[in-house]
Amino acid sequence: MNKDFIISWKVAGISLGLLLIVATALVKPLGVSTQFVVTDGMVAHQVAPEFAESNTYLAKYGEADDWGVGYGWMLVFGMVVGGGVTAQLLRRRQPDADKGSMPELWKATFGPSQTKRYLASFFGGVLLLFGARLAGGCTSGHMISGISQLALSSFIFGVITFVSAILMAKFLYRGRA
Amino acid sequence: MSTLIIGFLIGCAFGAILYMGGATSYRRILGTLLLKDMWIIKLMMTAIGVGSLGIYLLDMNGLAHMAVKPAYVWGIAIGGAIFGIGWAVAGYCPGTCVVGSAEGKKDAIFTLLGALAGAFLFSLAFPFLEAKLIEPANFGAVTLESILGINGIYIALPFSIAMLFVAFFVLKDRYE
Repeated sequence: MNKDFIISWKVAGISLGLLLIVATALVKPLGVSTQFVVTDGMVAHQVAPEFAESNTYLAKYGEADDWGVGYGWMLVFGMVVGGGVTAQLLRRRQPDADKGSMPELWKATFGPSQTKRYLASFFGGVLLLFGARLAGGCTSGHMISGISQLALSSFIFGVITFVSAILMAKFLYRGRA
Repeated sequence: MSTLIIGFLIGCAFGAILYMGGATSYRRILGTLLLKDMWIIKLMMTAIGVGSLGIYLLDMNGLAHMAVKPAYVWGIAIGGAIFGIGWAVAGYCPGTCVVGSAEGKKDAIFTLLGALAGAFLFSLAFPFLEAKLIEPANFGAVTLESILGINGIYIALPFSIAMLFVAFFVLKDRYE
């Protein structure tokens, strides 16, 4: 019987806190959601440069690194490499319950349809980034980095996001204990 | 140039921690949101407890590169509410959908694609939303330090202890 995790929340939480301190000392705190805009901007600038330059929001982030990659984008690219490599190396140690694209809880409630799960994932993703950009950050930039800097904006984001997510989760899984 | 390499290395560690710590797991995320398995919230509070103390210790010595986001109440409240719904539906946040995609989880890849679409939609709506929700009621990039007018370390120290205390001793998993 495998244990139920690869590293505990304590080890993960302390490591993440230390990583945040290193990042803040060297360059700046952690953040992810801005890079979705940067990526959109890079693609848009390749496909339709005039459109990209006239879109105030894409231009605001795109022009900062001349429509190319900067520190923040390399950080997210690093997450792909670091997450992907560790996942390959530690696959056998990952608990079965954490594997795959059809979580047990989802399947028990919404059935085995993969289409349904992928559609929900896609629209969840749309809401995630629309909301994150409106609020100015996500779990990493606002909650972890922002609250650690004692930023008022991030306390507001953290409270509202958790309340909203808990209500939505309770609604999705209503009727289940 | 070296900033790019530092970013890449920090990202590698970030991705590895999220994967190994179970943060890309639907059961862990929804467990916390259904208030049953507190794994994710305990992980986050521990990171914030360590991070806040470290950042303000750096700041005391003039070594912190802070990046405080402005507090525009309406945009953050509405954006946070939308984000929360997406978080519960997808079971990922922007960072964990990147790592989940790298793991090869297809639902994470769909979340990632949706996220790119959501960011694009926002860029189209930005001029309108900026005037309505971002410019009004904007209190600027304020922190508890600047609001209370006392040195941040005196807030960060008790805050850090409180976060770690709640994560380690108060929050308990509840299984049926």
